Amino acid sequence: MKANLMYRDADFNTAETACSGWETLAADLELGHILAAMSRDDKVIQEACTAALSHPLTDLDVLRYRQENLNDALSNASAVRQLYAVTLETEKRRSGSWSWLGSHYISSTFSSAVNLLKIYTEMLMKLRAVADESLSNFRYEGFRNLLTMLQKELSDDYFHTVTDELNDLKEDRSVLISATMGNRLQGVHYMLRQKDHKNFWRRWMFAPSFTIAARDDAGARDLGARRDRAINESANALAQSAEHLSGFFAMLRRELAFYVGCLNLADTLHQYGKLICIPDLQQMESRSRQWQELYDVSLVLIKQGAAVGNSLRGDNKHLYLITGANQGGKSTFLRSLGQAQIMAQCGMFVGAQSCSIPIRAGIFSHFKKEEDGSMTSGKLDEELVRMSGIVAQLKPNSMILFNESFAATNEREGSEICRQITSALIENEIEVFSVTHLYPYAAAFLQDERTQYWRAQRTDSGERTFRLIEGKPLQTAFGEDLYERIFAAKSRV
Amino acid sequence: MFTSILYPHDEEQGKEQQNQEPQCFHDLNLDKIFYPILKAKKEFELERFFYTPAHNTSIIQYRQDVMQDLENKTVRLLFEEFSTKAYAISHYMENTRELLSAKEHWDNNYLTRGRMLDYADRYCQAVTTLSEGAKAIQFKAQGLSDFSAYLKEYCARPSFQSLCMGVKRLREDFSQINYCMLIKDGTIRVRKYENQSDYTAEILRNFEKFRQGEVKDYRHKLSEEPSADHVEVAVLDMLAKVYPDVFRSLEDFCSEYLHFDDPVILRFSNEIQFYLSWLDMIEPLQREGLPFCYPTLCPMADHLYARDCFNLALAIREHSNTVTNDFSLDTPERFLVITGPNQGGKTTFARAFGQIHYLASLGLCVPGTQAALYYFDNILTHFGREENIDTLNGKLQDDLVRLHDLLEKATPRSIIIVNEIFASTTLADALLLGGKMMDAFAALGAPGVIVTFLDELASHGPETVSMMSTVNDKDQNSRTFKIVRKPADGLAYALQIAQRHGLTYEQLCGRLAK
Repeated sequence: MKANLMYRDADFNTAETACSGWETLAADLELGHILAAMSRDDKVIQEACTAALSHPLTDLDVLRYRQENLNDALSNASAVRQLYAVTLETEKRRSGSWSWLGSHYISSTFSSAVNLLKIYTEMLMKLRAVADESLSNFRYEGFRNLLTMLQKELSDDYFHTVTDELNDLKEDRSVLISATMGNRLQGVHYMLRQKDHKNFWRRWMFAPSFTIAARDDAGARDLGARRDRAINESANALAQSAEHLSGFFAMLRRELAFYVGCLNLADTLHQYGKLICIPDLQQMESRSRQWQELYDVSLVLIKQGAAVGNSLRGDNKHLYLITGANQGGKSTFLRSLGQAQIMAQCGMFVGAQSCSIPIRAGIFSHFKKEEDGSMTSGKLDEELVRMSGIVAQLKPNSMILFNESFAATNEREGSEICRQITSALIENEIEVFSVTHLYPYAAAFLQDERTQYWRAQRTDSGERTFRLIEGKPLQTAFGEDLYERIFAAKSRV
Repeated sequence: MFTSILYPHDEEQGKEQQNQEPQCFHDLNLDKIFYPILKAKKEFELERFFYTPAHNTSIIQYRQDVMQDLENKTVRLLFEEFSTKAYAISHYMENTRELLSAKEHWDNNYLTRGRMLDYADRYCQAVTTLSEGAKAIQFKAQGLSDFSAYLKEYCARPSFQSLCMGVKRLREDFSQINYCMLIKDGTIRVRKYENQSDYTAEILRNFEKFRQGEVKDYRHKLSEEPSADHVEVAVLDMLAKVYPDVFRSLEDFCSEYLHFDDPVILRFSNEIQFYLSWLDMIEPLQREGLPFCYPTLCPMADHLYARDCFNLALAIREHSNTVTNDFSLDTPERFLVITGPNQGGKTTFARAFGQIHYLASLGLCVPGTQAALYYFDNILTHFGREENIDTLNGKLQDDLVRLHDLLEKATPRSIIIVNEIFASTTLADALLLGGKMMDAFAALGAPGVIVTFLDELASHGPETVSMMSTVNDKDQNSRTFKIVRKPADGLAYALQIAQRHGLTYEQLCGRLAK
């Protein structure tokens, strides 16, 4: 039995290694805040969402499947949370039952397994109750299939049979064992047999019998050993069955976890008054994107509300050059862009009013390490090593986000490095977003029709709006402003 | 008629076999060579084979031939498998016969008879397998081809044939039995099995649909042996009531074939381990490229030699790092006198000399590519006892007492190995006593090795050959352990060793000046 909420016909494996560059990406895009808001300290949700985010999908079909399921989850939040709560309760009862399948004693494994199976059976009944109640409200195939399967596989008849059998196994004190003769005529191949109910005792009453003497401890131990040998296989079967069920609930929890994580984040963002949308995804070949009020989700979570959104579009572009005043919202914008891409490509909603973006074969970030930027050759060296690592992973139709990269040298050299790298990338089908204050580099693509220039907005009075507007690079940066402000602030003190 | 794989002639078997290790064992590190074998093959009690040198060249030849045939791995595996099985059975059967002749039901019961049936089965299989396997092999060794002929004749005997048939019939009958035990409150009841369904399968069927991935195996490794024999016997007694005919034929079988095992074959299964255990031990060394050869044994000490010989006890530990050495003694030479830097492999070499002689006397293959060795009557050793913290006099006295004993026992057919004698007295004393010792050895005419720090002994007379341990000139930290013919020259090496530690005159002056 499979839930298949993440993939139409495959399990969701949360143990897979993340996509290449994931650690960097997660740090650069501040995804930790998003994951924390999704998981709310639930380890399983944390794992599931990390696994989902760290494996960007490129299959539109799967992405649409998840988007549909997410849609259903958003409109049936309570039912989805109920199902998840059952898996949580199961886990709690399991660990609270002190059952130990790997016991030293077979009989203890046997009774532990029977106990666990009883717990699981009760929890299965609860799952079915949720299914019975809520199935009709779901619209898309993912959740509908799951709930239908629960109803079908967990029929009343099934519960009846299983409960009877478990009660039988729990109470039985006599064992019926079949055996054959081993190489020395000793009994081998012990198997636990089901007692046929008809005339059972009448037939066995007159069979040859042997009773061990009252003080025959060795004999008593022998009988115990016989029972152990007989129940060895069935204890194993029971324990494995318990493990199957434990696995089933864990699987269900894992598959639900992502959607519960989405519900958690959606709730929080809603609380802060931010809109979310399920993005419109385009084919990988597309070079156009547009969005309304795209915001940095992490920043919203940190600031608990206020964060500026951007509404921009690019039509048939392969390079986006972003320039303008320091602290004018360029890095924030770059992060919001990356977050949207990552979230969209695991089937999530994005932090925007509306959003239409193409899927990408790979998502990479190359951010300047510290904000200060001391001009040492060691730092440039480190940046180039990192870049070389990324290049080894790049596939056509990937996107890469540069944030003031290769600036750890003088402007001319830095510009030339950037220009050469950028040119090579865009000519090889890589979509490049580059935040830079290197003017010669930024100006080098002025003649290229497929380059989109954006600039941090500044009002006529010199105020920052933290929004980006369309605009060519300006020769003078606004560092002076910053300098003035900080120094002014200091001299005032 | 074949009797033994270790002795070609019937009359030699009666000769006493040593159960105590020879005196030279420890000094020559032979214990380090043999103990692992003796331990690994404890049940075969191989001590008496390895402690008893064969003082008859025809026995040595007989054994060398057998061993050469067994160097073939396939042949060896065939015998190894047989030996292990048959030898174990012979032990079990001794015990079983005792039990089956007992009056008490406690011992003499169906379980004991079941065991005997099993031993007989394994015996028949082992003998038949070996006989089949041996047929396909053309043995060069007298011993093995005689045994093969014996085996062929044995297998054709009507008594063996009917034993095999009896086992087969009983096995078939018992394999048909399928019974059920009902255990409740200390009582076991037994009936034939009547298609009651398998509980385990039922459980698996009910929960299989929840399977997600692989699950753990919770089965315990349980012995299929009965935990209390008397309960198993009781079950068998009950079964005998349910299946009376089969159990009656088992009783008949046991009284008819109580002595089914053949003494010649059983003895072979023990003695063949002499060869198998040795070849197993040296095989990994051979794979590393260390050579072994079958030496010629010389009744005269005129021309003794070995090429690429090495200390086997050390090789077992060091494997491919082992250094090989040559030696030769041509009349009038009798003694190899070895000098040179400490830790240069002198004692190792002296031991190797003794080892190959001892091994050759057993009829084993020995370290080296080629060798002609002395056919000796005794190996006499005198090794310094370092752990003895006596007074100087006491130790010198001890040395002399032991040397005296050695000379008492020595004959021209002995081999003498002396290691660092007189190390605890004054140089003048040592030279004087050493000279006397050399005179005595020269008069005796027995061959041997002397390791000493006294250069003078190396040029004692025409009977001495001077050999030196060497240090690699280029890399002073690595000792080559090569022992070469060379006049004794202690001083040069002393300087080298001093230099290595920065302790020559100039070095020491330079260091002290700072």
